[in-house]
Amino acid sequence: MELKFKVNGQEIFLQVNPNDSLLYILRDRLHLTGTKNGCSAGHCGACVVIMNEEAVKSCLQKAKRLNNAEIITIEGLTPKEPSGELHPIQQAFIDATAIQCGFCTPGYIMELYGLFLRNPEASLDEIKVALEGHLCRCTGFKPILEAAVLAQQYLNKK
Amino acid sequence: MSLNIVGKSVPRADAREKVTGTALYIDDLRFPRTLYLKVLRAGIPHAKIKNIETKEAESIPGVLKILTGKTIGIDPEHFYGTCIFDQLPIAFNKVRHSGEIVAAVIAESEKTALAAVEKIEVDYEELPFVLDPVDSIAEGAPLIHEKNGEYKHLPTFTPVPNSNIFFGYNLKKGNYDRVFDGADIYVEGEFEYPLVNHVAMEPHGAIAHWDLAGNLHLWSSTQAPFVVREVLAGYLNLTMNKINIHVPSGGLGGGFGGKSDYNIEPLVALCARFVPNYYLKFQLTREEVFIGTVLGRGLKGYMKIGAKKNGAFVGIECSQYYADGAYADTSCNVVLAGGHNCTGPYFFPNCNLKSFGVYTNTVPVGAMRGYGHPEGQFMVERLIENLALKLGIDSRKLRMKNFLKPGDTNSLNQPIFEHNGNVRECFQRVVDSLNETPLPGSNATHYYGRGFAALVKSPVQTANASSNVFLKVNEDLTVSISIGGVEMGQGALTVLAQLAAEKLQFSLDKIRINPEINTQITPWEWQTVASMTTMRVGNAILIACERAIEQFKVNASFHFQCDISQLNYNGKAINYKDKEFPLEKLVLGYQYPDGHTEGNPIQAVGSSVVRNVTLPDSRTGQYHPYEWTFGAQGCDVSIEKSTGIIKVLHFVTALDVGKVINPATAKGQIYGGVMMGLGHTLMEKIEYDTKGRMKTVNLRRYRIPKLSDMPEKFSCIFVETPQPDGPYGARPIAEHSAVAPPAAILNAIQNATGISFTKIPITSSVMVEALSRRK
Repeated sequence: MELKFKVNGQEIFLQVNPNDSLLYILRDRLHLTGTKNGCSAGHCGACVVIMNEEAVKSCLQKAKRLNNAEIITIEGLTPKEPSGELHPIQQAFIDATAIQCGFCTPGYIMELYGLFLRNPEASLDEIKVALEGHLCRCTGFKPILEAAVLAQQYLNKK
Repeated sequence: MSLNIVGKSVPRADAREKVTGTALYIDDLRFPRTLYLKVLRAGIPHAKIKNIETKEAESIPGVLKILTGKTIGIDPEHFYGTCIFDQLPIAFNKVRHSGEIVAAVIAESEKTALAAVEKIEVDYEELPFVLDPVDSIAEGAPLIHEKNGEYKHLPTFTPVPNSNIFFGYNLKKGNYDRVFDGADIYVEGEFEYPLVNHVAMEPHGAIAHWDLAGNLHLWSSTQAPFVVREVLAGYLNLTMNKINIHVPSGGLGGGFGGKSDYNIEPLVALCARFVPNYYLKFQLTREEVFIGTVLGRGLKGYMKIGAKKNGAFVGIECSQYYADGAYADTSCNVVLAGGHNCTGPYFFPNCNLKSFGVYTNTVPVGAMRGYGHPEGQFMVERLIENLALKLGIDSRKLRMKNFLKPGDTNSLNQPIFEHNGNVRECFQRVVDSLNETPLPGSNATHYYGRGFAALVKSPVQTANASSNVFLKVNEDLTVSISIGGVEMGQGALTVLAQLAAEKLQFSLDKIRINPEINTQITPWEWQTVASMTTMRVGNAILIACERAIEQFKVNASFHFQCDISQLNYNGKAINYKDKEFPLEKLVLGYQYPDGHTEGNPIQAVGSSVVRNVTLPDSRTGQYHPYEWTFGAQGCDVSIEKSTGIIKVLHFVTALDVGKVINPATAKGQIYGGVMMGLGHTLMEKIEYDTKGRMKTVNLRRYRIPKLSDMPEKFSCIFVETPQPDGPYGARPIAEHSAVAPPAAILNAIQNATGISFTKIPITSSVMVEALSRRK
């Protein structure tokens, strides 16, 4: 099938198989490798991206549902200049030392991006619910939760 | 000594790449002319291969090659390994676990390769199989390796021919054949620590390429690039200068031992030989990580301790059986570590400790965070709890009475010194931290309990392990350092840069540790395991820095025309009496006004070889491992009576870390280790079905902790008794917080409910059933 959709603001046309996952299209067709593949089964959250303003697990989204979708990946949050200012959520992860191996990090950042887009005043419990679908084996979660709270503060100051 | 950078929570060196998704991991690398490898796995645990039919699969367009044990061109008598040489890259005439690879497909795309895998048919003659280590050593158990005892092996490891035992270790100390002479009271128990998976978030992958000059280039998500090189050189009969093992610049998406020492690399390298000048990629799925890499733990153990009426320990006896899977892999060393570390940080005058590495028809066991220590010490800490109950004394007092103190000897008969660290202080601070919040009394809906455990861990490493670094000071006074240590999340790049900046008195932004590894140009490193990177690579960096400073002085001595002993270095200039000469004019040597140059550029090599590590004595089992890190952990738990749901309310860890280099990254190691230990205690277990196939093959069936499983309160306490030979006094800390959570949590459950568990995991259904049985 022919797929027409937007990724990080750019119009994309691609010939794809209707059952191709969004994760596969991002990583292997568009080479946007910032989105990570941890399980291909919706269990780990490493592949979360924004689709039509909602955080979704890209491994579970099929191409046939993607026409006219607007996707934002971690690359969409990232400054184009090497020393450009990071997105406040990215900066919060650095400041809270919420990164170790970094493999789960883009998924967490996109989840929070989606949450705060919808609900800038999300309560701590709502933040916890959003992060529950993500696995991290390195940090023990505490620094990630701290980063989420810090990110919300940074965003609300802007 | 006042420190400027060491001891500060500076931001991670690799943070910007990681938060922007630009850090490159193995699956992110892109190469021209890439082909894909997919494999057929046995699906049955133990069988002879009668025939493999590949014709139909070969006819699929886009399939380049299908390889089996018979067609890949291997010598079935030539094996690889690092301890016992018992492995082939692909099954030859027999499979020994259900995830074993029997055929490999090279194709133009992963989808095509998978389609071909589906069409391969294998005819097996099924054999009886065994999953349990105790069953595996029973009479009449199926023999998994007919050649056990004939394989080449390191002298330490002693296989028992015609059995499934590939290594039996026996440590004897004191009155070892009558360890309980003089004891008044005994406790004993049978324990189980299940097989578990590391679940690094990044699945394993490797990419191999043979250039037309016969050089092998292999990129891998490995913790041990130099071990991979050694294994490939030996197995493929290559000279090492033709092998380039690369670790991607983003490092590893977690390791925890699951990416050491070697894994899929021999197969990928071998298959790539059939498609020279292409790049052959083998990226594992999550399911393949479960069924086809390595696992950890898998202990069944029996332990008995004897004590005097006053609580003084007299002796300990232990037998440990490890379900180490189809191949010995590095579990040999886990068996050794488990053997002598099961005494925990306690003084036992008499020890008779046996541990056995046993072949089973399961995934091979390799390294895993904790490496023998959590499983062994889980037993002793549970028994101490029961001994205290039996003696009618406070278990905290019983522990304090028996902790190793300076002048005591550990199980290996090594004397303990003051500088080894202070387990008493760690333990007391855990007690104090928990005491800050009173434990709620049990009520109609919940039980509450508090539990403690102490820990000790030594790095398990080969006796000549070393780390080496290359350091160069650039003309602009920035510093580039190459190391062979792998960044896999632990923060090595950050902490090592802090050490270099401190030593050179440079600002941190001037230091760059190269994150990329290529065995052809990177200095030699044993491997990134055993929590030794800060210590061993760190020491190598300090030595390189000292040599760089020395070279600055040599170069300056031409300017000042004096002896270098009269010169001082301050990070900006070399001083001689009241004169100074700037460092930037000394980087390439010293150039006289007429242009001629003396001295040399500032480039240095630093090496750190572990010293005084010996091999086990074949008679007593005694040897010298490395130094020790002591610590203690404790927690408060609540148990919901109706559901059996166990929540950890407050978890405290205190470690004598010697010196904290970076508090934020050090705490990160502790939080992560505790959560891994909590997972093992409350939910994680690899399970097999009745046909010997793994059931827990994804992250739903094999559950690891989520955010909601995190303790409500998480405390880290650092005690700092300097390690004399550690960088700025630091000692290993990365695995240690994963050692005692099982015992601490089970002790808390016992405190809450009176139920004495000896097997983990304690899921809510296990808990609720135990509660109902008790009623």
